[in-house]
Amino acid sequence: MSDVLVRLEHVSKSFPRVARRRDRMRALWRLLAGRVPADPAVVLDDISLEVRRGESLGIIGENGAGKSTLLKVLTGVLAPTSGVVRVAGTTAALLELGAGFHPEFTGRENVQMAGTLMGFTPAQLREKLDDILAFADIGRYVDEPVKHYSSGMVVRLGFALVAARRPDLLITDEVLAVGDEAFQRKCVRWIEDYLGGGGTLMLVSHSMYHVQKLCRRAAWVHQGRLRALGAADEVTQAYLAHQEARVAADGQAAQNARAGTEFQVRSLALAGLADRIPAVIESGDTLAIAAEVRSRDGREPVLAVGLARADGSALHGVTSQMDGARGRAAGDGNYAFRFEYPALPLQPGSYLVRVHAMDPEGLRLFDTMECPFTVRGTTREWGALKLGHRWPDGGDA
Amino acid sequence: MTAPPTAAALRPLARWLNLLRHFVVRDIQQRYLGSLWGGLWALLQPLLLFGIYAVVFVQILKVRLPATAGGDFVPFLVASLWPWTAFAEALNRSSNAIPEHASLLAKVAMPRAVLVVAPVTASFALHGIGFAAVIAAAALLGREWHLAGIPAAVALFVLLYGFALGLSCALAALQVFVRDLQHVLAQVITLWFFLTPVFFTREMVPPALGRVLDLNPVTVYIEGIRGALVMGQQPGIATFGIALATTALAALVGAFVFRRLSRHFEDFL
Repeated sequence: MSDVLVRLEHVSKSFPRVARRRDRMRALWRLLAGRVPADPAVVLDDISLEVRRGESLGIIGENGAGKSTLLKVLTGVLAPTSGVVRVAGTTAALLELGAGFHPEFTGRENVQMAGTLMGFTPAQLREKLDDILAFADIGRYVDEPVKHYSSGMVVRLGFALVAARRPDLLITDEVLAVGDEAFQRKCVRWIEDYLGGGGTLMLVSHSMYHVQKLCRRAAWVHQGRLRALGAADEVTQAYLAHQEARVAADGQAAQNARAGTEFQVRSLALAGLADRIPAVIESGDTLAIAAEVRSRDGREPVLAVGLARADGSALHGVTSQMDGARGRAAGDGNYAFRFEYPALPLQPGSYLVRVHAMDPEGLRLFDTMECPFTVRGTTREWGALKLGHRWPDGGDA
Repeated sequence: MTAPPTAAALRPLARWLNLLRHFVVRDIQQRYLGSLWGGLWALLQPLLLFGIYAVVFVQILKVRLPATAGGDFVPFLVASLWPWTAFAEALNRSSNAIPEHASLLAKVAMPRAVLVVAPVTASFALHGIGFAAVIAAAALLGREWHLAGIPAAVALFVLLYGFALGLSCALAALQVFVRDLQHVLAQVITLWFFLTPVFFTREMVPPALGRVLDLNPVTVYIEGIRGALVMGQQPGIATFGIALATTALAALVGAFVFRRLSRHFEDFL
């Protein structure tokens, strides 16, 4: 079936500015008279898009671009200021699980209430109640007030409700940090099953990797407008190029500010991977790094190279001086360094390459540049490092 | 997909009523959550109030009712105090219903009017039951009511409920924009109580106040219910006509204001 599940036609949303007291009264009179509030702040501007049944759409954009407002308009929480929203089916969002719960009531009572809000009839609810409670698996807590729940338990109950609803459209974001790991696996299995069964997904994400992996199409929302809508690969690449240009502009400004230091890192590139940001490398491949350092007075600099996890914690570091390596003089006080990590022993994940320009004595650190990259691969091991290991009494490792 | 069109048209209404039922039950549960005697308070509260008034008016002020009002103060007060309590409580509890549920409205798409209709319905249901119980108890103790007046009294009670619904919808919607309403409403309701013939009759007050009573929309319901139950006066066409018109007007205004404003609640919460 390829019928249209969601259709937005020229949808705009603006919020009235009501900082001053007088504004509230004026807005009230205008609304009662059937007009729109004066001088609104536009959050969504003329957005039109369609999602067909069984199709997945990724929504990307910077913070504050209007993604959340778009979702609220879509789920009916917010009424659009102008335009038409049509959703031909049920929707459920995994964004605010347990949002409608009342802390004073028990889990069972809240499931009944939230289920009614989701559109269950009393008969359906009676039929599904046991399934829901079994899926949530919170034991005797179902008959305790929700105020005594851990946040994980609230979320479990909320997810169980969504799972029982089996909505036509599922809205979610990348962070599916639902309860403990066993429950997360249960959720992921459910979502895979849902998608396999022809479910429709709308994914709001900052992870281009997830959007490319899970969605066929993507919509890029930029300052309230739909900047691009199309195949996920194309839209995510256009978005990344835009981000990169912005980062480069920031970087250029920073570089100009640093130009006066004695030893300055002019460039850093992950060889052969420059066409993608962040760079992607297969686990076990060779990571080749090229950096150029400019020395103001022509003295030969030392380069420090290191690997760090995405959070900045160091994994490894070494300087050219330790290894007796030197940069190649490239004229005008510039020195080019090449460096390789053969058979990169990192698990799949996000990492940073970090280089520092140091004085010829290798003592003082002058300048730093970082480049993020992603290691791809499949493994069931965890942690940052891929370490050789074996079980002396047998095993495949 | 293949359901007959009437069933499809009924589905939103069925969902609406289903939601209303849930919110009414929750409203009642929430009132008595954690209290030892629970729902008994629904009956005890107006009973206590009634006891206070009875002592003040009968024992201290020695109020004498005109013979046309039946002479006996106790049944006279019963017949007007319970409908008034239902009305005043409905207004009080529903006026802040939208800001109270702001966090719910920010996350869940739902028909907003349910949030206002539920506390009004709960108040009238609880005090309607309390009213019936008190009348039945008094009858068992030997008090004679005019049983023929019961249908008319019930009809007027339902019309008063409709009036409260309309008024509450308008107030609750305005309250989102102008929070000041909440602060004056309690005082306004107290004043309204004294300007409504709950514990006195027209004959007992100066003629100037009589005109105020005529302008007070609640007067017609209270006088009608009391007349039917206590004095055996069947409310005439005029009484029902005025009551019906007042309820219809309130419902229309309430629906208009709520419809116009509810789309924008989220922007002002």
